[in-house]
Amino acid sequence: MESVTKLAAVARIKWICISRNTMIMLGPILTVALVYGCKLLYGQKTGGELSPPLMAMLLCLGISTNICGDGFVMVGTAIAEEKEKHTLRVLMTSSVTGWQYFIGSIALPFLLTNVVNVLVLFVSGISFEQVNLPAFLLVGAAASLISCVIGMIVGICAKNQMNANLIAYPFMMVFMMIPMFGNLSKTLQQISGFLFTGVMVEMTNCFANNTPYTIKPLDAAVLVGELAVSILAFLVLYKRNGYEKD
Amino acid sequence: MEQNALLQLSHISKRYKTQLALKDISMTLRKGEILGFLGPSGAGKTTTIKIITGQLRPTSGEAKILGTDSSNMDASIYEKIGVVSDNSGIYEKMTVWQNLSCFAKIWRVSNARIEEVLRQVGMSDYKKQPAGKLSKGQKQRLVLARAVLHKPRILFLDEPTSGLDPSTAIAIHKMLLDLRQEGMAVFLTTHNMEEAEKLCDHVSLLYQGTIVEDGSPQEICLKYNKRKRYHLLLNGSSEEIVLEQTPENAVKISEWMQKDMIQRLHSCEPTLESVFLQVTGAPLVSL
Repeated sequence: MESVTKLAAVARIKWICISRNTMIMLGPILTVALVYGCKLLYGQKTGGELSPPLMAMLLCLGISTNICGDGFVMVGTAIAEEKEKHTLRVLMTSSVTGWQYFIGSIALPFLLTNVVNVLVLFVSGISFEQVNLPAFLLVGAAASLISCVIGMIVGICAKNQMNANLIAYPFMMVFMMIPMFGNLSKTLQQISGFLFTGVMVEMTNCFANNTPYTIKPLDAAVLVGELAVSILAFLVLYKRNGYEKD
Repeated sequence: MEQNALLQLSHISKRYKTQLALKDISMTLRKGEILGFLGPSGAGKTTTIKIITGQLRPTSGEAKILGTDSSNMDASIYEKIGVVSDNSGIYEKMTVWQNLSCFAKIWRVSNARIEEVLRQVGMSDYKKQPAGKLSKGQKQRLVLARAVLHKPRILFLDEPTSGLDPSTAIAIHKMLLDLRQEGMAVFLTTHNMEEAEKLCDHVSLLYQGTIVEDGSPQEICLKYNKRKRYHLLLNGSSEEIVLEQTPENAVKISEWMQKDMIQRLHSCEPTLESVFLQVTGAPLVSL
């Protein structure tokens, strides 16, 4: 019970910090606005009707931007901000444990990325009859969780907010661009199949093409494996320096 | 660990690569005592606090805080200590009240206690104000309020009044003396010798990572009062005279006293600053 109270307190602190940081909060809003704006622009030529590949492209764009851009940046920048303002050390010497800080830090960004995923699904215009909603929510949740853990890695390595954005870029390039441009090259498509964002993109393509989607063993292995690897990488970094190197 | 000791350092050393930051530091802090670590910048004061509060591991030696080795500190120990450093951050986008209420939840402290602490630090009128808009002195008072919110058994203060205006510094001194009365032990690092003399029951003079002298401020000053002298201002004179402690001068002073000729008479025992200079050859505040 005591742990839950502390965890809730950390989550509250994080929520206040994130919700009042314009730079961070613009991400999720712009993601939804981007999908909606593209939908309007593409729809102008066709009287509002979008072809399945276009809808797939919009959904893929929204989800990739959300998972990578928002997930990594929201968590990473929030930790970096705490380091920059010297509040992280205060929190860690106030009886909050490492894992309480970890869960408290990712709880709300995880929730928010999932909400934005669903919003993007609505806004993209894909018919809900074509969507396997439980699979979408499950894969979306797993991908959001991985992106939040990667955000923690970004935060642990970053010295300040600017530095956090810089560190997040390579992750964004790999996890966002490779699946998005997977159609352009067979090699990229093969690599994409082994990325958690690639699993999501493949799922959205199935929805748009109205082909039944089920989570394949390889998809599940990719999601579980990348979650495990990211948690392991986080633990190694945390064991070495804690949240802040002295 | 000594009985009544809340904090005990035994032969602590800390090495950063090739530089030895602390050398064989030993000291004890008891309940209701203010212990001052006095030294210039770079002497090792902050390193000592970081070791005691589990933020750094010593290279050798043992630091016991509330009976637990500082390397193995857990949440239960952190709940019993408060830390204030010159770079203790506050959440600038939160109000003063929110800054305290977040930590009150972590420590399971009531809202009434938040009100009480805000009153103590004179910040009741600012509770709805965003912390980012406070002055430096107000921010430091907020940091202090947060550190004592859960009534810690030991309070660590790293240069708490550094760069503050005199009135804020006096308010903080008063609060520390009140906390000592309540039985809180305070570990204070400072390079301000007046602050140390005013507040501390016991001081350790730290220079280049070594304790060069320790004891009560009075004991230390008297120990180095080897050349006793008196400053006198006589009636009708504007110039002060300085007399050594000799039998002849004692007679002279006695006569002046009997004739009511003395306007002012001061003994000239050394201050902590002059003791520090004498022991190390270096000033407390580097110019």
